[in-house]
Amino acid sequence: MLVHSIVRTAVASAALLGGIAHAAPVKIGLVETLSGPQASSGQAYRAGVRYAIDRLNAAGGWNGESVQLLEYDNQGGPAGASDKLKAAIADGVQIVVQGSSSAIGGQVTEDVRKHNLRNPGKEIVYINVGAEALELTGEKCNFHHFRFAGNAQVRVKALVDGMKQANALGTKVYAINQNYSWGQDVEQAVVDNQAYGGYKVVEKTLHDVNKIQDFAPYIAKIGASGAETVITGNWSNDLLLLMKASKAGGLKARFGTVYLDQPGNIANAGELAAGHFIVHAFNAEAGGAEGQRFVDDYKAKMGHVPVFVEPQTVFAIEMVAEALKRSKPEGGALNANAFAKTLESTKITTPVGEWSVRASDHQALLPMVVSMVSKDAKYKADDTAFGFKPVKVFSAEQAAAPAQASCKMQRPG
Amino acid sequence: MDAVVFAVLNGVIYGLLLFMVSAGLTLIFGMMGVLNFAHASFYMLGAYFAYALQGLVGFAGAVVLSTLLVGGVGVVVERGFLRRVHRHGHAHELLLTFGLSFIVAELVKLFFGNYPVDYRVPKALDFAAFAVGTQQYPVYRVLMGGIALLMFAAIYLLLTRTRIGIVVRAAIYRPRMVEALGHHVQLVFMGVFGIGAALAGLAGAVAGAFYTTNPNMALEIGVMVFVVVVVGGLGSLAGAMLASLLIGILTSLAVGVDASIADLAALVGAREWAQGIGGLLTLKLSSLAATIPFALMLLVLLLRPSGLMGERT
Amino acid sequence: MRVTTPMALLGVLLLAALPALLPAGLLNAAIQMLIAALFACAYSLLSGRAGMLSFGHAAYFGVGAFATVHAMKAFGGAGLLPTPLLPLVGALAGLGFGIVAGWFATQRSGTTFAMITLAIAELLHAIAPQLKGWFGGESGISTMRMPAWGLSFGSTQQVYYLALAWVLLSLALLYFHAATPMGRLTLALRENSHRLGFLGYDAHGLGVSAFALSAMLSGIAGSLQVVSNEAVNYVVFDAGVSAAVVLNSYIGGVGTFLGPALGAALMTFFSYAVSDATQSWLLYQGVLFVLVMMVLPGGLTGLVSTTARLVGRHGFAAVLPLALLALGAALLLSAGTVFVVEAVQRIFSQDYRSLARMAASLPPITMFAHAWQPAAASTWLVPAALLATGAAFAWSARARLAALTRGTESNALEAAAPAIS
Repeated sequence: MLVHSIVRTAVASAALLGGIAHAAPVKIGLVETLSGPQASSGQAYRAGVRYAIDRLNAAGGWNGESVQLLEYDNQGGPAGASDKLKAAIADGVQIVVQGSSSAIGGQVTEDVRKHNLRNPGKEIVYINVGAEALELTGEKCNFHHFRFAGNAQVRVKALVDGMKQANALGTKVYAINQNYSWGQDVEQAVVDNQAYGGYKVVEKTLHDVNKIQDFAPYIAKIGASGAETVITGNWSNDLLLLMKASKAGGLKARFGTVYLDQPGNIANAGELAAGHFIVHAFNAEAGGAEGQRFVDDYKAKMGHVPVFVEPQTVFAIEMVAEALKRSKPEGGALNANAFAKTLESTKITTPVGEWSVRASDHQALLPMVVSMVSKDAKYKADDTAFGFKPVKVFSAEQAAAPAQASCKMQRPG
Repeated sequence: MDAVVFAVLNGVIYGLLLFMVSAGLTLIFGMMGVLNFAHASFYMLGAYFAYALQGLVGFAGAVVLSTLLVGGVGVVVERGFLRRVHRHGHAHELLLTFGLSFIVAELVKLFFGNYPVDYRVPKALDFAAFAVGTQQYPVYRVLMGGIALLMFAAIYLLLTRTRIGIVVRAAIYRPRMVEALGHHVQLVFMGVFGIGAALAGLAGAVAGAFYTTNPNMALEIGVMVFVVVVVGGLGSLAGAMLASLLIGILTSLAVGVDASIADLAALVGAREWAQGIGGLLTLKLSSLAATIPFALMLLVLLLRPSGLMGERT
Repeated sequence: MRVTTPMALLGVLLLAALPALLPAGLLNAAIQMLIAALFACAYSLLSGRAGMLSFGHAAYFGVGAFATVHAMKAFGGAGLLPTPLLPLVGALAGLGFGIVAGWFATQRSGTTFAMITLAIAELLHAIAPQLKGWFGGESGISTMRMPAWGLSFGSTQQVYYLALAWVLLSLALLYFHAATPMGRLTLALRENSHRLGFLGYDAHGLGVSAFALSAMLSGIAGSLQVVSNEAVNYVVFDAGVSAAVVLNSYIGGVGTFLGPALGAALMTFFSYAVSDATQSWLLYQGVLFVLVMMVLPGGLTGLVSTTARLVGRHGFAAVLPLALLALGAALLLSAGTVFVVEAVQRIFSQDYRSLARMAASLPPITMFAHAWQPAAASTWLVPAALLATGAAFAWSARARLAALTRGTESNALEAAAPAIS
């Protein structure tokens, strides 16, 4: 960390001394929540980014120089993220990476847009590796933002399809979510997919985010509604406590989740998680030999197998690397607009399918895997006896949801 | 009707957990006038110590040992830190405990990591006690409630029926006089702080297995504990019990109510008007469940600032 | 240590020259430091001068911020409220909310007052995400700074000068308030509000006025943050923001005029710089809080004034070795603690533990651009030596200080003795 701080100061002084005529290395800035209550997810994104950048540099970097990764701690909130983004821009960062929160994602995308407006010729690109609120590719869509993660529509569509094919969906579904943009998007998606999934939403509930300790009243409501399946976008404590309360209350419903593979969940839940479903962007078992190679290489370099948001982050940076390979330097430096245009048409192959970008709203088209918690899984989670066994892999075309009409992207001339 | 029974039962059990944590805080405040921001950190420490010791001495042993350890930490905090800043005023004490809460949370993250740890209810206690309709109540929850009630009874009897209790209560009102009568008031303060911390540690050791044990535990329960103590009356044990139960039941009942003020306005035919205004009037009570305790706290502070059962000064 | 007019002018000149001296990244940090300084001064008007400890000051900061963002969207930087005049909206919103909240809060005193302010802030924090129209949900409301008065307000420098102008204006307002009768009476509120009533003044009204003024200036600070960040989010009502301003004020020294500003500037810079250097910066911050509360109850300005008094009484030559010892002790102890914390953090991390399980012996850890062996005694000798030397310095500094002050007391006694005997 100190090294990076020294690098930043050195870079700042070099910038002060005037322009650099020869090749300028590409600087990628990670503005993440690296400390405080939500640090766990920020650190997971950081691990994925570090691994992918190391691989990029091992393959030669860009324009003969290594790509530099600068890390900034957004101190847990949008205001801190805004400050650190300005610091990153002052340090010469051209590609900003962020993923751990939709609120921060909203702030970063707007700040990037305003900076690009005020500083033509010095644009920066925002690579979003995890903020899944729909508005980021909706009202707030902008040419320099790329979302390399799912979104509520894509996730829920794949989840209900996968659960239906595994005969685990039933006809009565209960939607319980956190009361903010992501949770509301998931709820809307569950309602929208009723015809597609052949089920009826018996009831939907929104609850306060990260404030509730005791989910027993909600379990009582779910039990009273007679639902066979519960679909939830909850993460962290809200998911874990909900599942523990459901076991304690003897609820017989099946859970379809988005974030069950967050480290610590399976360790804490144990066998009560068995039989529940998750939709995620990668499952090593579904990736065959390629998947095994990826997992082994990651574990050797980072010390643990890639779980949760790490695989999708690695693939996102691989997309960036592929686009960089196809971007020629202009005047010795990277032209952000040309890079963004190239990124729009980039495709890579991952162990579970092909990734590409939809030019109309810059939402990545990525494959989705629906898995079930089981003892038969090849890769165990959290050092327990349980892991995620893939049930169905949806290719990028199958998983895609249509672009939103609210996105009116303005392209540079 | 079933729904109301569930809600009340759930609320009572959650309220008893809140009582376990806030009992210590209200005692400490009543005794020393120190509003201890690090109290919720003792709760978290209790859970983590029990998790760490569970492999060595089994679940029951871990709970007992961790309670004693947290009590020890409380004594150290009082003797080493609080006593030094006592003469500089309330603000310094509060800020010191606030800084301590930061330190404890970061130390826990340093040693145990950022993710929740595998501290679970032992198999022997993991079954249902009884069922009401379709919902089951696990034995462990009943056990937690039982421990809370035992705690209440024990502290109450200790304070009212034993000599030590009389000395402690006297030291609340007239510490100098008690000192003049030959009692070691400093030791009494230290003991009370230690016992308050130990109670929070016990609550953590017991509840951490049922809920999750993660580094944000202190933040999650911290503010709620303050609300309980303020609503119940600073220094009143019975008030803390009453307030915990009230808040538990209200929150639980609210979850089941999907109505809003607009629905209330429908009674006088003004639903469209209320919905047109939107905002606060169309918010459903169920999504506001976690906000109700703060509204209650503000109400109590404005109308009866000494709390529901506090002493009027 | 009194700040004289030439010193104040020099300070203002230095602040005005900062954009030429600092790189762009640090200039943005300077804006945040200015905003934090104003917020802390506004807070200490209430807690330091009026003696009312408030735990929910983020409410007024946030109300000012949200009012400003709505004004920015409504007026677009033109018409009645061009961009440079936007903090007026924050001031008015803060003032209005402050009068209402203060009316209720100041009816009680002491801990009850603190709890009421906390409840107001927490209630706002809990309700805000539900009221999407006013508070924009959890992604907040974002807007854009518009050009006005011939300036584009697109560059950090222009925003800096705008913030500097408003902060100086607000500080001047605070200064002159302290000189007015109302300001003097606010001091009396802290000393003995009962007596104030008996002397014929309306203690409650004075309390409300102090509260409202403090809220108004907090609103200006919130407003400046919105002008700088062009967005605001309901997390601005978080208890952490209220706690931060209290800590900044007390670390700076709440009894003085510029103390809180100094504390806020320092702590903002600390978190800005250290948060990128290490993941345990919150631990260091907590340790700093606790140490300042225990060792420097008067804050940093208290330290400065104590040193000035010692120098005045004993002369520079006597105090210099003491100061050097204390400084050395602080540096050595900090270095030793940082070493231990960083080492422990790396050793106990999940990744290291799994690497250690796989390898035969404990692998080395990388720290300060150097590889250390955790099992080797030499690794732990470094912090042990640092801490031991630091402790020795601190001990000897304490002994010297005791000797100095004892010397004064015995002199005073000797001077008094002839008069007595």
